[in-house]
Amino acid sequence: MQPATAAALDLFNPTEAHEMLRRMVRDFVQGEVEPQALEHDRTETFNLPLFRRLGELGLLGVTIPEEHGGAGMDAVAAVIAHEELSASDPGFCLAYLAHSMLFVNNFHHNASAEQRARVLPKVLSGEWVGGMCMSEPHVGTDVLGMSTVAERVGDHYELTGRKMWITNGLIAEGTLGDVFLVYAKTGARISSFLVEKGTPGFEGGQKIRDKCGMRASTTAELVFERARVPVANRLGEEGDSLMHMMRNLEIERVTLAAMSLGIAMRCVQVMCRYASERHAFGKPLREFGQIQRYIARSYAAWKAARSYVYDTARRMDLGRPGQRVDSDGVKLVATTMAKQVADDAMQVLGGYGYVGEYVVERLWRDAKLLEIGGGTLEAHEKNITKDLSRAWQAIVV
Amino acid sequence: MRIVVCIKPVPDTAARIKVHKDGARIDPDGVKFTLGPYDSRCIARAVALKGAGEVVALAAGAAAGEAEAKKRIKDALALGCDKGIFVPDPAPENRDPLAVAKALASAIQGQGGADLIFCGRQATDDQALAVGPMLATLLDLPCVTDAVGIEVTGGSARVQRAAEGRVETLEVTLPAVITGQRDIGDEQYPKLKEILAAGKKPIAEHKVEWAAAKYAVAGLVPPPEKAPGKIVGEGPDAVPALLNLLQTEAKALAL
Ligand SMILES: Cc1cc2nc3c(=O)[nH]c(=O)nc-3n(C[C@H](O)[C@H](O)[C@H](O)COP(=O)(O)OP(=O)(O)OC[C@H]3O[C@@H](n4cnc5c(N)ncnc54)[C@H](O)[C@@H]3O)c2cc1C
Repeated sequence: MQPATAAALDLFNPTEAHEMLRRMVRDFVQGEVEPQALEHDRTETFNLPLFRRLGELGLLGVTIPEEHGGAGMDAVAAVIAHEELSASDPGFCLAYLAHSMLFVNNFHHNASAEQRARVLPKVLSGEWVGGMCMSEPHVGTDVLGMSTVAERVGDHYELTGRKMWITNGLIAEGTLGDVFLVYAKTGARISSFLVEKGTPGFEGGQKIRDKCGMRASTTAELVFERARVPVANRLGEEGDSLMHMMRNLEIERVTLAAMSLGIAMRCVQVMCRYASERHAFGKPLREFGQIQRYIARSYAAWKAARSYVYDTARRMDLGRPGQRVDSDGVKLVATTMAKQVADDAMQVLGGYGYVGEYVVERLWRDAKLLEIGGGTLEAHEKNITKDLSRAWQAIVV
Repeated sequence: MRIVVCIKPVPDTAARIKVHKDGARIDPDGVKFTLGPYDSRCIARAVALKGAGEVVALAAGAAAGEAEAKKRIKDALALGCDKGIFVPDPAPENRDPLAVAKALASAIQGQGGADLIFCGRQATDDQALAVGPMLATLLDLPCVTDAVGIEVTGGSARVQRAAEGRVETLEVTLPAVITGQRDIGDEQYPKLKEILAAGKKPIAEHKVEWAAAKYAVAGLVPPPEKAPGKIVGEGPDAVPALLNLLQTEAKALAL
C-alpha cells in the first residue's frame, strides 16, 4: 500500500495496523508495565507473568508469519513494540528482545518445518522463555574467535564451551531459561543449535549481578560440557550459521535502536513537564536559556534518530542479510542520542532527576547498555566503514 | 445471540479540551479520540456473552468526524466485535441525543435487529446519559441503566445495577437495552491478531434521514481554571497549618 502523496506517509505508523499496535502496546504499558518497572529494577528480577502477558497479546511473534502462529508483521512493527515498551521499562524490553528477536525471529528463519512445529507454539505463547548464545567470556566483538565447539558423535553433537552475558540465561535464581539458540564452531565454520533446558551436560553458570542498568532482565553465563544435542536440533546445514548470525544481527540492532527511541521519548516528556512545573527565581525552568538548550536539542536529536530508525526499518527485508550499513548506523546514532537525552533530562530535573521515583535515573542507566550490547559503538563504526569502503558510490547518493 | 454495542469516539481523558471558535462545541482539531471507556467495557462483556452469535459495533455520526468514527469501529472490531455499522451524518456537530437515538434505532431495525443492545452509561464528553434510555423507548424495549453485571439465560437476562448504596438485581426479558458501568466488563487490550483481523471485518453503512434538532447548544464555557495548589510544609509539623487552611480558606472542614 503506497501512499498517494509524500504527506500521506506517516513514517512512524505507516498503516492502520501499525497505529493500532502502537496504541495497544502503549495502553498495556501504562496499565501493566509502568507500575512494576521500578521494583523489578531494584530487585534485579525478570517479571515472568508479565512476559507471558506479552504472549497473550500476540507480541512474542510480531515478525513470524501468520501461518506459523505469529502476526506476520514487519520490522516497523517490531520497532514500534520495542520503542513503546522501552518508554517505560527498557530492562523488561531487553528480555523481550532477547526472546522475540534473538531467539524466535532467528529460529524461525533457520528452522525446519519439524523444528518450527515443535518449538514455535511454546515460544510464541511465552510458555518457554528463549535466548541466544553468541558471546563468550573471552570474545564479544571478535565473535568469530569463539571457542565453543560442537563435535558430531553419531546422531548427536557434543557442545563444549562457555557462553557469557546471555540475556534470559537464568530467568530466576537457579532457574535456566527454557530454550536457546547456541552458536558453536564445527571445524572452522559456525553452526547453530537448539539447546533445551534439561539437555545433559548443559547448565547455568553464574548469574550476573549488579548490572548498571537493564536490571529487569537477567543475564547469565551458560556452561556446556559435552552437552548432548540431537542432530535434529541443528538449525540449517552444518557450517551455515555465519549467515544466520549476520542476518539476525541486523534486526537485533534495529530493535535495540528502537529501545533507545523509547528511552529518549520518555526523557523528553519528563523534562518538558518538569521544566514547566518547576519554578526557580520566580519563573518556570523552561524560561531559562540553558534549559531551553537541553529541551530543544534533545527533542531534535530524538526526532532525527527516530526518522532514521523508522526509515531503515521500513526498507528492511527480514529474510535476507545485506542491510548492515544502516542497521549499524541506526544503532550507532540512536543509542548515543538516548544516553545524552537521558543525561540532559536528569540535568533539567536537578536533584530529583537523580532518584528512582522520577524515572529518568533508571532510563539513564539502561541507556548505556545499548552502546555495548548487540555490538559496541566501535564495532558499528568498523562495520559501517567497511561496508562503505566497498560500495559507498551506491550507498551515499 | 446477536448483540449490538453502540459506540462513540470521545476525546482521550488526557486531551486538552478547547472550545471551538463558534462558541458552541469542542474544537476537535488536534484532539486525540478514543473509544469511550464504558463502550469498551460493554464490548468486552458482549464478546464474552455472544456464544455462537455475533457482536455488532454501531456508531452514528459523532462530532469527531466520519474518519474518527470508523477508526473507533475498527478498535471495536479489534476487541472482538464481528462487524461494524456506521451511520453517516452530514452535520454531526451537537446532534441532540434524541436524533442520535433515532438513528441508532433505525440502524438496529434495518440491519438485522438485536437480542441485546449495550450502550455505555454515558459518553465521557457530553455526559448526557440520554441516548441509551431514549433508544430503549424508541424500540419499545426494557432498559436497565448503570449495569455492573449481566447473565443471559434463554430469553431473559439477570442484570445487576449499581443503585445508591446497593446493587439491585433485575430480571428483564430480551431484547433489552443495557447501559453499562465500568464494572460491566474487564479492561481489555486488543490482541495483535485481532488487530490484524479487524482490517478484514466488514463495516456496513446505514443511511438515515436525520431528525431536525429540537434543541441546540447556545453556549459553552470551559470550567474556571483551578487556582494553583499550595504547599504548606512537610511532615507532621505542617498539619496545623493544613487544618487551618482547610477550615478557613477551603471551607472543607468544620471543626
Ligand atoms: C546486559 C547484557 C546483555 C547481553 N546479552 C547477550 C545475549 O543475550 N547474547 C549474547 O550472545 N551476548 C549478549 N551480550 C554480550 C554483548 O553482545 C557483548 O558484551 C558485546 O558484543 C561486546 O563484547 P565484549 O563485552 O566481549 O567486549 P569486547 O569485544 O572485549 O570489547 C571491549 C572494548 O574493546 C573494543 N573493541 C573490541 N574489538 C575492537 C576492534 N576491532 N576495534 C576497535 N575496538 C574494539 C570494544 O568496542 C569495546 O570498547 C550482552 C551483554 C550485556 C552487557
